[in-house]
Amino acid sequence: MHRSPGLRKAYGKTIALGGVDVRVEEGRILGLLGPNGAGKTTALNAILGLIPCQGELRVLGRDPWRERDELMRDVCFITDVSVLPRWIRVSQALDYIAGVHPRFDRAKAEDFLAKTNIRCSSRVQELSKGMVTQLHLALVMAIDARLLVLDEPTLGLDILYRKQFYDSLLNDYFDRNRTIVVATHQVEEIQHVLTDVMFIDRSRIVFARSMEELESRYSEVIVHPDKIAAARALKPMHERQALGRSILVFDGVDHQQLVALGDVRTPSVADLFVAVMDIQVSQAQGAAQ
Amino acid sequence: MDHEWNDNQPIYRQLRDRVVAMILDGVLKEGDPLFSVRNVAAEYRVNPLTVLKGYQQLVDEGLVETRRGRGMFINAGARSLLLQGERQKFLGEEWPRIQATIQRLGLTVEELLKGSQRSSRAATKPDNPEKEL
Repeated sequence: MHRSPGLRKAYGKTIALGGVDVRVEEGRILGLLGPNGAGKTTALNAILGLIPCQGELRVLGRDPWRERDELMRDVCFITDVSVLPRWIRVSQALDYIAGVHPRFDRAKAEDFLAKTNIRCSSRVQELSKGMVTQLHLALVMAIDARLLVLDEPTLGLDILYRKQFYDSLLNDYFDRNRTIVVATHQVEEIQHVLTDVMFIDRSRIVFARSMEELESRYSEVIVHPDKIAAARALKPMHERQALGRSILVFDGVDHQQLVALGDVRTPSVADLFVAVMDIQVSQAQGAAQ
Repeated sequence: MDHEWNDNQPIYRQLRDRVVAMILDGVLKEGDPLFSVRNVAAEYRVNPLTVLKGYQQLVDEGLVETRRGRGMFINAGARSLLLQGERQKFLGEEWPRIQATIQRLGLTVEELLKGSQRSSRAATKPDNPEKEL
């Protein structure tokens, strides 16, 4: 079959890597963050090799589009659109996965389910939305694979079950040295678990950094009112107002220099996300004019 | 230990500080084991590498030692080592800030002494009526 880049649209949505080399490396926990409709699920599909992407992408050292078959052996994947049939019983779902997936650990899935209110005899249609999510997670977390891919894993879960989910995720990561990719817009609850973050906006990856880089490169300064001119001279990447104070975000400016201007801290992932998204909007407006 | 982090310092540093506070308060005694990396990571919902980095700081400072296959333990002499360091740190980092606040508020030495007497009375007398207000 003949393929040309111009025909890519025929495959539906694609994701552009925005000039960054994206690598998902062994033992990392990567968070894909973006507003609704930004293309998080599309990015996951590209990582899984289900769709091509524009740019250089490596997952566990492989090109997912060209080496999808090899990569698939190492992957377990759950998406909120992979709906279980409504008529299926929980026990049948377990039978099914055990039949099709050689690395599925049925006892582990049953352990997981035992901590929930889900009964093995229940049909999917009898379960609440949160319970369906729990069932999905029980199935996918019991597959022994190097790469675990999760799309909005905690959507619809209550607080208690969220805690249990993160407990098992981290224990699992600890025991098996998994690589994990999570797409979510719930930044606060996951940020300290991540080793890397990626921001997605309008089907482009606009930001990709490790958490170490994030801590060492970026600073947020609540600027003292009479230092504002000096602060602006250092070319902040973003400025916002809060309670009458100016909060400036800097990339790669020396900590000592900033301390003289006000209170310095490391921006949270959410703060940085807001800054990066604002820059995207103003760049788009600039381009339109 | 509470669950809130502040944005002023990296998490591994705050983890280190929490363990240090527990040693200073005598909650963790010399020879005691540190909490396992697994438990701390799950409990605080942080990456295990972050916990390890925090623990490594304690090793580098000579406060904690790794015993092969058994985990990490508080060293003998950790508390006095810490007291020395923490006093220096207080004088170097926190005291100048407190001093600046005192000057800004125009507090006198007498007022400060009176204030500290009152607060130590409140701390030693649990039935102090002032505390109930």
